[in-house]
Amino acid sequence: MTAEIVAGRAAQLTGIWKSYGSVPVLKGVSLALQKGEVHALLGGNGAGKSTLMKIMSGLVPANAGSIEINGEPLTHASPALAQQLGLYLVPQEAHILGNQSVLENICLGLRPSPRTLRKRVEQLIAELSVTLDLDAQAATLEIAERQIVEILRGLIREARVLILDEPTSALTPFEVHALFQRVRKLQAQGVGIFFISHKLREIREICGTISVLRDGVVVLSGPLDTYSDAKIIDAMSRVATGATPVVAERSAREGGAVRLSVRKLSGEGFRDISLQVRAGEVLGLAGVVGAGRTEFSETLFGLRRQSAGSVTLDGVELSSRSPRRCIDAGLVYLPEDRQQNGLFLDAPLYWNTSSYLIHRLPFFLRPGRERGLFNGFRQRMGIKCTGPGQSAKALSGGNQQKVLMSKCLSAKPKVLVLDEPTRGVDVAARNDIYALIRQLAADGVAVILISSDFDEIELLADRVTVMAFGQLGGELTENISVDAIARLAFGAGEQAHA
Amino acid sequence: MLNLVARNRVIMLVLVMAVACLALGVAAPGYLSGATASVILSNSLVLLLISLGTMLVILTRNIDVSSGSILGLSAATLGLSLNAGVSLPLAIALCILTGVVAGAINGLLVAYLRIPSIVATLGTLGLYRGIMLIQTGGRWIEGLPQDLKALAGSIGFGVSVLTITVLALFVLAWIFLRRTRFGRYFYAVGDNRDAAHHLGVPVRRVQFTAFVASGACAAIAGLIFAAQIGFIPNQAGNGIELKAIAVNVLGGVSLLGGSGSVAGVFTAAIFLTSIDSALVFLKIPAFWNDFIAGAILLIVLLLDGRIRLLIDRRIRARRYAVHDRAPQAGEAVGRSPEKIAENALLAEASR
Repeated sequence: MTAEIVAGRAAQLTGIWKSYGSVPVLKGVSLALQKGEVHALLGGNGAGKSTLMKIMSGLVPANAGSIEINGEPLTHASPALAQQLGLYLVPQEAHILGNQSVLENICLGLRPSPRTLRKRVEQLIAELSVTLDLDAQAATLEIAERQIVEILRGLIREARVLILDEPTSALTPFEVHALFQRVRKLQAQGVGIFFISHKLREIREICGTISVLRDGVVVLSGPLDTYSDAKIIDAMSRVATGATPVVAERSAREGGAVRLSVRKLSGEGFRDISLQVRAGEVLGLAGVVGAGRTEFSETLFGLRRQSAGSVTLDGVELSSRSPRRCIDAGLVYLPEDRQQNGLFLDAPLYWNTSSYLIHRLPFFLRPGRERGLFNGFRQRMGIKCTGPGQSAKALSGGNQQKVLMSKCLSAKPKVLVLDEPTRGVDVAARNDIYALIRQLAADGVAVILISSDFDEIELLADRVTVMAFGQLGGELTENISVDAIARLAFGAGEQAHA
Repeated sequence: MLNLVARNRVIMLVLVMAVACLALGVAAPGYLSGATASVILSNSLVLLLISLGTMLVILTRNIDVSSGSILGLSAATLGLSLNAGVSLPLAIALCILTGVVAGAINGLLVAYLRIPSIVATLGTLGLYRGIMLIQTGGRWIEGLPQDLKALAGSIGFGVSVLTITVLALFVLAWIFLRRTRFGRYFYAVGDNRDAAHHLGVPVRRVQFTAFVASGACAAIAGLIFAAQIGFIPNQAGNGIELKAIAVNVLGGVSLLGGSGSVAGVFTAAIFLTSIDSALVFLKIPAFWNDFIAGAILLIVLLLDGRIRLLIDRRIRARRYAVHDRAPQAGEAVGRSPEKIAENALLAEASR
C-alpha cells in the first residue's frame, strides 16, 4: 500500500435523518472516517448507532442525508451496492446460513466460487490464529465461531471500509488479541474501520478516534486521547438516564445461611461441579465461552437432564427438577439469550413480567393486577417504555434486559442464576443492572453471576468459581482480579481441588 | 452408516424402494418388469412437475398451495384455445404463459407486497380455480384434437415426448440449483433471509423467480394432464398441491427452507406413485391407497426424526469431548494466559 492511498477519506456521512414512524432516531448525524483510522462509535442502547450503521451499509434507507463510500455516493439503500463500493458490516449477531457449509457461508454473494476462494480463506484463518472447520455444517458452530465467520466475511471481501459491531462480545481474550492484531494490519493498509463496542478498555486499546452518539445526535467527537473515561460515559448517559458509574462497594456479607448447595453435578458438557452459595452472596461463575457454564446452569434449572449429582436448596434436596419446580422452590434462572429463550417479543411487557408465574395465575386472568406488577418494576428499574401494553421487541437491548430481570424477580427468587445479564447492554443500563444485583444481594438473595466479562465479575462478585473445559477450574475468595480469573479459566486442572 | 443415511435421504429412499419392490416382485410375479416401470413413470409425470415447482418455492422458505389450480387454469386455457382452432404450438405457448402469469401474481403478492405465502397462495388457489370455472362455464372440456393426445404416445421403449421433457426439466433444475450462483441463492434465501439480504443477495427477485418457475411447472403439468387423459375436468389438479408438499417432505426438502435436493423430490414422487401401482398388483382395493401412502409417509418421517436426533446428540458429544482432553494441555503452572490458551486451542485443533 502506498502512502497516497492511505491518506484521504474512506467514508463520509452527511446530515443523516431517520425516523421510525413518528419517533426520530437520527437527527442530522454527520461523521467522517479517514483511511487507516479505527474510529470508535459509542452510545447507549437506542442512541441510534445500529440504525446509523445499517443506513451506511444499505440495509435501511435514510429519510435524508447523503452517504459516500470511497468517494462514491451510495445512491440507494442496497447492501449489494454498499459492498460493491467497498463497505462491509460485521453485525453484532452473526448471520449464519445453518444448512450450508462454513466455507459457503463465508463466500456467499461473491463472484468467484467457494472452491477457488478456499486457499485465501484458509490463509485468513491462519492469520487470525483460530481454528475453524470449513466443511462443517454452519448450524453446529458456537457463538464465538459464528462471529469469526462474520469477521472472515469482511476480510475476504477486502473491504476498504469495515464496520465491526461489537465484534468481541463472544470472543475470548485470546481471540480478541488476534483480532486486534489483524485490525492493526488492516489499518496499516489504509482500511477505515468503525468499531462499535461497550467495553471502554478495548476501545482504548485499538481506537484512535471516538464519536459518541446520544439520542440521535453526535455529542462528542475527536481524538480518543483527549477524553477521559468519565467524560465519555458522562457524554453517553447524561440525559438518557442520569446514571453515574457505580463504584464497587463490596460490603462484608459473611455468615449468611447456605442457600444452594450443588454436589458433584454432572450432565452434558460438564461434570463434577460442586458449589455453594450463601444468602446475600454474589458468586461469580467465570470461564470462557464453551466452558460449560450455560450447560451447568440449564441443568441446574431443570432444562437439561443431569447424569449424576444432587442439588439442595435451603436444606431440601431438589430431585427430578423441572423449571416449574425450581421456580416454585425459589431457584430462578435468567437465560443468556434474551431474544431466543428469555422474552416473548411480540407479547406485551406485563405478560413478560408475569410469564415465570404463568402456572400460578388464576383461571380467569386479572390483567389489572399484572399491569400493576409491571408498573412497580418499571419504576424501580427505570424501564423506558410507553406503557405495560407495549410489545417487548420495541424496546432497546438494555430495557429488554431489565424486563427480563423483572420476570425473574416477580418469582421472588431465593437463589437467582444470572447468565450473562449484561450482554449487548450499554454502559448506563449496565450500571442500573449492577446496582440491582447489589440490592438483591443486600436483600438476602443468593446470586450466581455467570459472565464472560471478567471485569464484571471482579466488580460484583464476593467469591469466584471458575469453570474450564466442563470442570471446576478453581476458586477465588480474595484478591479477585481479572488476571487471576483468566489464569484459572484458561489453565484448568492445577487448582481444581485445592 | 448412520451418518450416510441421515445425510442422504435419497439413498435411504432408494433403499426402501428397492426393498419394497423386491418384496413385491416375490409376492406378485410380473410386477418387476419394464412395462410396470414405464407405467409408473408416465403416471408420475404430473406429480413430478408439480413437486419440482413446489420444491423451488419451499427452498426459499415459502409455500405454494395454488399449483393445483394453476394446473387446472392453464389446462383449460390449452383446451379452450385448441377447441377454438388455435394451432398446437401456439396453444402450448398460451398454456405456459398462463402458468407464468399466475406464478408471477403469486410472486408479486409474496415477494413485493409482503403477504405471507400461505395466505397469498390460499387466496389464489380459489381465485385461479374460479377463473377456470368462469372460462369453461363449469363444463368439462372434451373433444381435444388428436395431435395433443399423441404427445403422450410412446416413441420407443415406453417413453413419450412428455417423459423426456420432464426428465430434461429435472436435469436442468439439478444443474441450476447445484452449479449456478443464482441457484445457490435459493438455498441462501430459505436458510436465513436476513443473512442473504445482508450479503447482497437479491432476496425478492429470488422469491419472485421461484413462484414464476412453480407456475410454469404447473402449466406444463397441465399440458401433460390434458394430453394423458384426453379431456379436462373441472377439478383437474384439485388437491395435488398437498400431495406435492408430501412428496417434498418425503424427499427430504425442509419445510423451513434452505435444504433439499432435486434427486430427493424425484425419488419421492416415483415412490409415492409406485405404491399405487403396487396395490393393483397385490389386488388390494384402490380405496386403501391414501391410507397406505399416509402411513408410509409417517413411518419414514418418524424414522428420519429419530436418526436426526441421534446425529445431533453425536455432534454435541463430539463437541464436549474437547473438555476431556484439554486439561492436559495446560499442565504447567504460572504460564501466561496467552500461552495456555494457545495450547488449549491446539488441543482443540488436534481433535
